[in-house]
Amino acid sequence: MSTEAEATLPTSDHTGHGTGTSYLDASSGLRNWLITLDHKRIGIMYLISVLLAFAAGGIFALLVRIELLSPGRTIMGAATYNQVFTLHGAIMVFLFIIPSVPAALGNFFLPIMLGAKDVAFPRLNLLSFYIYVVGAVMALASMVIGSVDTGWTFYTPYSSNSVVGSQNAVIWMTGAVFTLGFSSILTGVNFIATVHKMRAPGQTWRRLPLFIWAAYATSVIQVLATPVLAITLALLLMERAFGLGIFDPRIGGDPVLFQHFFWFYSHPAVYIMILPGMGVVSEIIATFSKREIFGYMFVAMSSVGLALVGFLVWGHHMFVSGQSEYATMVFSALTFLVAIPSGVKIFNWLGTLYGGAISLESPMLYGLAFIVLFSIGGLTGLFHATLSTGIFLHDTYFVVAHFHYVMVGGTVFAFFGGLHYWWPKMTGKMYEEGLAKWGFALFFIGFNMTFLTQFVLGSRGMPRRYYDYLPQFTGLHQFSSTGAFIIGIGILLIFVNLTRSLISGKKAPRNPWRSAGYEWMTPTPPPLENFKEVPVITRGPYDYHLATEAELSEN
Amino acid sequence: MNPQGTFQLPPALSEYAPRVDELYYFIFWISVVAFVAICVALVLFVWKFRERKGGPTKGAQSGDHHALELFWTFTPLILLTVLFHWGFKDYVAAAVAPDDAIQIRVRARQWAWEYEYPNGMITPGELTIPMGRPVKLVMSSDDVLHSYFVPEFRIKKDVVPGMYSSLWFQAIMQPRRYDAQVYCAEYCGARGDTGGHSAMLSTIHVVTGSEYEEFLREGPSRPTDLQTDTQWGELLVTQNNCLSCHHTDAATTLPAPSFAGIFGRHQSLEGGGEVTVDENYIRESMLTPQAKIVRTYTAIQMPPFHFSDHQVDAIIAYLKTIH
Repeated sequence: MSTEAEATLPTSDHTGHGTGTSYLDASSGLRNWLITLDHKRIGIMYLISVLLAFAAGGIFALLVRIELLSPGRTIMGAATYNQVFTLHGAIMVFLFIIPSVPAALGNFFLPIMLGAKDVAFPRLNLLSFYIYVVGAVMALASMVIGSVDTGWTFYTPYSSNSVVGSQNAVIWMTGAVFTLGFSSILTGVNFIATVHKMRAPGQTWRRLPLFIWAAYATSVIQVLATPVLAITLALLLMERAFGLGIFDPRIGGDPVLFQHFFWFYSHPAVYIMILPGMGVVSEIIATFSKREIFGYMFVAMSSVGLALVGFLVWGHHMFVSGQSEYATMVFSALTFLVAIPSGVKIFNWLGTLYGGAISLESPMLYGLAFIVLFSIGGLTGLFHATLSTGIFLHDTYFVVAHFHYVMVGGTVFAFFGGLHYWWPKMTGKMYEEGLAKWGFALFFIGFNMTFLTQFVLGSRGMPRRYYDYLPQFTGLHQFSSTGAFIIGIGILLIFVNLTRSLISGKKAPRNPWRSAGYEWMTPTPPPLENFKEVPVITRGPYDYHLATEAELSEN
Repeated sequence: MNPQGTFQLPPALSEYAPRVDELYYFIFWISVVAFVAICVALVLFVWKFRERKGGPTKGAQSGDHHALELFWTFTPLILLTVLFHWGFKDYVAAAVAPDDAIQIRVRARQWAWEYEYPNGMITPGELTIPMGRPVKLVMSSDDVLHSYFVPEFRIKKDVVPGMYSSLWFQAIMQPRRYDAQVYCAEYCGARGDTGGHSAMLSTIHVVTGSEYEEFLREGPSRPTDLQTDTQWGELLVTQNNCLSCHHTDAATTLPAPSFAGIFGRHQSLEGGGEVTVDENYIRESMLTPQAKIVRTYTAIQMPPFHFSDHQVDAIIAYLKTIH
């Protein structure tokens, strides 16, 4: 091992002054946080924001599940229920999942893993955070002003001509999503530039951590697909505000056109949501297996492959929409291709476990849970890609269960895995491992109770977005709701544990998991400019056989 | 064929349904095998290669495994091709209706279905069709997107304003008449406290050929399990989602006059005049709702409901009972 890499190791006193001062101590006061250009502080501000959004979206989810405890009215009327599930979807998708891993964890760790001082455009980074805040405030405003009851998909002509709710609320909510898109685009541009131009000496493309490959592929999708969402929502706003006939057939528009536009963004957006999660899982599995990722290049390229294929399959949301039979055939065939890179990832993660030296700390439990839950999410995708079964199951609870296995079982488990994995590095504190495992166990059990049940509800014919249901579905709905409450308790426990660590947690060592990853080479918490000197990379991030004992020790 | 249904699937009541079920279970068992294999490998590897005290602290080196990588990249394509082809073949069969299919016009609106038969008869809320004969639905929407979903037939199609879409099916032969449940599967909103989208249900009555001929001549008749016209009237009011706008409770404010104590009530009309609610006014209000509108209830335009004379009688009988 070279002396340069050792130069990145901390001195025993890493709260010292000068370049070694931790980013948390570099300056104090709220104002210094709010105008910071430090990617780590921006990452923390994103983290707080997305966790607040997650809490809000989660409360709406629980309200939905409480209402569905019995047929007919349980706690709210039909119109209110429609607003509640719309807010659950819109908040979770646009304010939580899309920015969760890339903007919060990505902002913090992407430059550190590249050996850079910051992202390429720090001011742009702060701007994208404030655009996110403006978008979030607009979404809040839509709730105060009235009621959006269109579902998070805003399908026309219902959304352009809804007889229920307030016109202005739909305008505010679509305006919010429009605004949030710009935040997403700017973060994407920033990450692409950073990955291309800011890598430390010796950091070749083949030595990029897989989290970076995933974040890079995600950024490309964000930059290419999000403008289409902006165009779509702008057209929708013009239709509502000025009566231009674009999507509403009564004034000469075409409602199916909206679906093409919307899914041309929103399907690639699924990969914006899942790819960064896969990146996190690759990091976790390598660290807790103490081993190089099996088939590194295949895992990296499968991220790029998913990003590309993701652009070609939007029509599978529209098998019953009235699009042409030929389009339906082509989209079904292309959709099956998604299975290939997804499978490659699963197989290579299993290959990494084989021959590892595996320890089961809480981040690894999330990583393994991801493999299990994402497998269910992926395999149930086969039912949807296949035309005859896909049409039968379309818009039923089977779809709801399928995408929750991908989005929650996949992305959210990866996000919490990443949060537990990097928490010591970010905050300098250790959480309590026992409580973390309890939180994980409740989340995992509750999640499967909630959503395995929904597969059966769906295959038995229960349509989604239903306020009321026929009596034969009661038992399954109640079981599903019970699972949702268990998820709620699990998440609460996780929040309590992490928050408590900030107050009374043990001081975190430099490298608590004895990982060979680059981000663990710098002191905990990292200094303002990430490293005391520009690091020189002489090995891959998973080269445990090349890493020195000093690098792999906790302190 | 499984007309009873299974734990996962509802009864299979169309000729097409068993084809879907066969493919469904094929994918299901393939998924089970793949999932179990992944889980077994995961648990086995985690156990076998767990970090032991005094054991190695680092994993083994990986090296290159190009053959293995290429194997698991390309082998799944064989299965995926089979699934695509099988699903597509069935899809084509479901997309093309036979020439001799009975054609039914279906009109959707928030939040009710209406059917028009080849002889021009219209029934709101319920469809009656003969078993063993192909039936083609030609569907349109008056307002927003809806979707016609019959789980027992395994079919679904969006109903889109501004265009026609179609579906066809052939209900299986059974010794006796039976029903299939229809749902709206594309979210279409709600108003107030009652169902909206989730109450946009409908029933398909599958009857024998001779019963169907009789139905076309005589129009809809009271379901055999109901004793009185009052009960039938209540059923019709529920099926046609009248309570999305009206209500049976005087206190609730909704966009249409309450049904509570409606019979015999004096109402002021929009544009002047007064009316006492009697049989003729109720009949007129269902068949031509815009003729005499109760004052201030102009926000919503009630569409006409094409009930038969007997159905109108039943609804009037029911409304008389609400106080």
